[in-house]
Amino acid sequence: MATFFDQVSEMGLKQATIAKVDESVERLTAGMNLNDIRAALRGDEPRRPNPRLRPHADGFWLHIRPSFYHTEVTQIYPSFRLGWLSTFMFVWETVTGIFLMIFYTPSPEVAYQDIWNILGNVPLGQLMRNLHRFGAEVMVVVVALHMLRTFITGSYKHPRQFTWFTGMILLVLTLVLSFSGYLLPWDQLAYWAVTVAVSAAEAMPGPEVLGTNVNLLLRGAPTIGAGGLLRFYLLHVLALPLLLAIFFFVHYYKVVIHGHSLPPGREAIGEDSGKRVPRDERTYFIPDILTSELMWTALATLFLIAGSIWFYNAPLERQANPLVTPLHVVAPWYLAWSQGWLKLADKVFIAFVFIPGLATAFFVMPYLEVGKSRRYASRRVGITVSMLFIAFMWMSNWMGSPEYRVQSSPDQEVSQELMPQEGHSALKEVPYEALEPGVYRPGDVVPENPHLTAALAEFEHAMMQRSCTLPGTDAPWPECRVEETPTGVRYGNNFTDDAMPNPDAWLTIDNKQHNMRQLILTFEVLDPDNPDRLLYDYSLTGYRHELSNYEEQ
Amino acid sequence: MQVKIIIGTIAFMLTMIVIGFISLLEPARMEAFTEAYTGRSIENGAELFANNCATCHGIEGRAEECFDPSSGEPTGCIGLPLNNAQLVCGTRSARMEQLEWAGTKQDFIQSTIASGRVGTAMPTWGEEFGGPLQPNQVLDLTLFVLNWESEELCAEPTPEPVGWPATVAELPEGNPDNGQDHYAVTFGCQGCHGQVVEEGSNTIGPWLGNIAEEGAERVEGYTAADYVYESILNPNAHIAPDCPNGPCTEPSAMPGNFAQQMTLQDMADVIAYLLGTNEFESSAEIQLPE
Repeated sequence: MATFFDQVSEMGLKQATIAKVDESVERLTAGMNLNDIRAALRGDEPRRPNPRLRPHADGFWLHIRPSFYHTEVTQIYPSFRLGWLSTFMFVWETVTGIFLMIFYTPSPEVAYQDIWNILGNVPLGQLMRNLHRFGAEVMVVVVALHMLRTFITGSYKHPRQFTWFTGMILLVLTLVLSFSGYLLPWDQLAYWAVTVAVSAAEAMPGPEVLGTNVNLLLRGAPTIGAGGLLRFYLLHVLALPLLLAIFFFVHYYKVVIHGHSLPPGREAIGEDSGKRVPRDERTYFIPDILTSELMWTALATLFLIAGSIWFYNAPLERQANPLVTPLHVVAPWYLAWSQGWLKLADKVFIAFVFIPGLATAFFVMPYLEVGKSRRYASRRVGITVSMLFIAFMWMSNWMGSPEYRVQSSPDQEVSQELMPQEGHSALKEVPYEALEPGVYRPGDVVPENPHLTAALAEFEHAMMQRSCTLPGTDAPWPECRVEETPTGVRYGNNFTDDAMPNPDAWLTIDNKQHNMRQLILTFEVLDPDNPDRLLYDYSLTGYRHELSNYEEQ
Repeated sequence: MQVKIIIGTIAFMLTMIVIGFISLLEPARMEAFTEAYTGRSIENGAELFANNCATCHGIEGRAEECFDPSSGEPTGCIGLPLNNAQLVCGTRSARMEQLEWAGTKQDFIQSTIASGRVGTAMPTWGEEFGGPLQPNQVLDLTLFVLNWESEELCAEPTPEPVGWPATVAELPEGNPDNGQDHYAVTFGCQGCHGQVVEEGSNTIGPWLGNIAEEGAERVEGYTAADYVYESILNPNAHIAPDCPNGPCTEPSAMPGNFAQQMTLQDMADVIAYLLGTNEFESSAEIQLPE
């Protein structure tokens, strides 16, 4: 074979270089040279034999991708690109996750500082963290929608039952993967949400030793500490992604084997035509599907980046402290339904009968629901049940949300709303400069200080929900509903059964240090039946440093 | 397909522009995050201080307004003032010099909080030494203490030194009732030395109920008043034989700054209370603190 130098002497340097580049491109693409690529981009017909099929046959990257799709499935409907997007999100999470791994050590001593280091010391570190966390939530949504779509179009039916089955595995893995990452920042949010979730294992029926040991296995010690963090870390970065990747390939292999299912209305009842694509209904992977996927990649990237910059901020609370339990521990929103269910029934039943039963039902559903027709009109019951199930999940999620939580005493709830230990609030977001020392009542208007005025309006609003006015007095709250109970008198209003009658509450702001203010919320509520006794007597102190910057972060 | 290529290209370019744009803002953002971290750490420190330290060091860290942790009743302050120019202003404190501390002031405060101070009421706070606080909380507290450094505090002129007379007899007449108040509350002597009327109530320092007799015998040529006067001004001058946990240690655990905190009258009152007399006999000139 002629060497490059032979070619140069034969054709001249320019031609020889072009020929060499052409040859290299053909090798890299496993079959398409420069002219073929140009033709594909221009939309020309391929030459014969079709070089655009060779990357699928000879190359590694495309060997699992079908070389053509049925034109019917390349529109937005019926797939909505959700399966592809799920895969994209997995790759996205892997890439951003690896970036974060560079700056992270799974140890309680340094994990939390590492996150602050990512935020304060790593260029684009906050963006990466937001991308990863936002991506995780988007992935949960996309995977759930993908499943919903598969159900609605009846794509789980014969012969695709096993594809659905592996898809269920992927859904469970996605949820566990998302939740296992929750612990890694080692902040209060993470620590307590995971402690509560893992403690469900203790409720395991059967011999006590079983629950205790499963719990021990997950936590690595009686409480979550160095061992537990390392376990969750390894699950999050190694075990679960590996399992997910393996089952992804099983899932996708099945998708390719059976072909994408056509829209239900496009095929005869009982027929599966996904795999038999007439020549004139083929859309080839190269160039059409590939172009489309590149466009979706660019759009999804833009969406995720813009979302992470302008609309999403990954929360970071104070460092985990096993001795301080936050007032309200909440599960992440995509697991809030489980917290909602715990309010409906015993946790043994929920965790070991209801949830496993429901999961099993989902896994085996395609093997039990064997109706031949995929058409919507033939599946009224199934689709109705699915809609009812969505409504049920929506309700359950709401029941697990902070609005539906167990309430503590009204003075503490108001304090928590204004000065929560963790997270944001109207008062916390008042800029330091606007915290003028003084004593303020709910709803006070502070001249030339809109921030503080807004926070005090919020104070009034919170008080309004949990206070009431006794008959014959002129306090500004809703009227009291007085109830005699065996344990004493209860005061209620339209919002709650546990309201403060004619409360006195105020906010004191003063200087603690030259660059730090002290905020004290005080509640004094006299017992209407015994003026010498205070029904509620509570104060909460918070601090605000000049640099803390809650208003922006 | 052309449309898709155009849309994809535009989306890609927009992404690059957005990333380029926020990259320009990164240095300022990182700075703000680093500052916020410090700010929030100091806030946590303030909370920890109020819950753990204020009982002995005072609500504002001035060794004033101390209280009993269980009852909330005001008591004398056993702790040293921390919101104090001598500790927080400048890069080194007198105590660091005395100990020939090689590290920074932050190291010094951090290790004092974590490991406590041997022979004093200051316990170990760090988890690693059996205390209740995590290392990050000890750091929060340290930053909070250091944050007392302010232009205002550090501009305060050092108080005019009291001219201590060379003999105790030159002190004004003492008032034992005021002395009791000073002993129990103002200067917090009772925190370590216990109640004078109850033997064995002392927790760290020697019991002083019998100091009128004992003090006269401890040092050759000193009266009890000489001995007490010199020991308050200069705790290391004489080390008492019996402390609750065995022999008293050297150097003394007693703060050496009473010479700066007390007036001549305060001193006379306290000595009068301890000795049960308001006229002091002197037989020697004591060594005055520098």
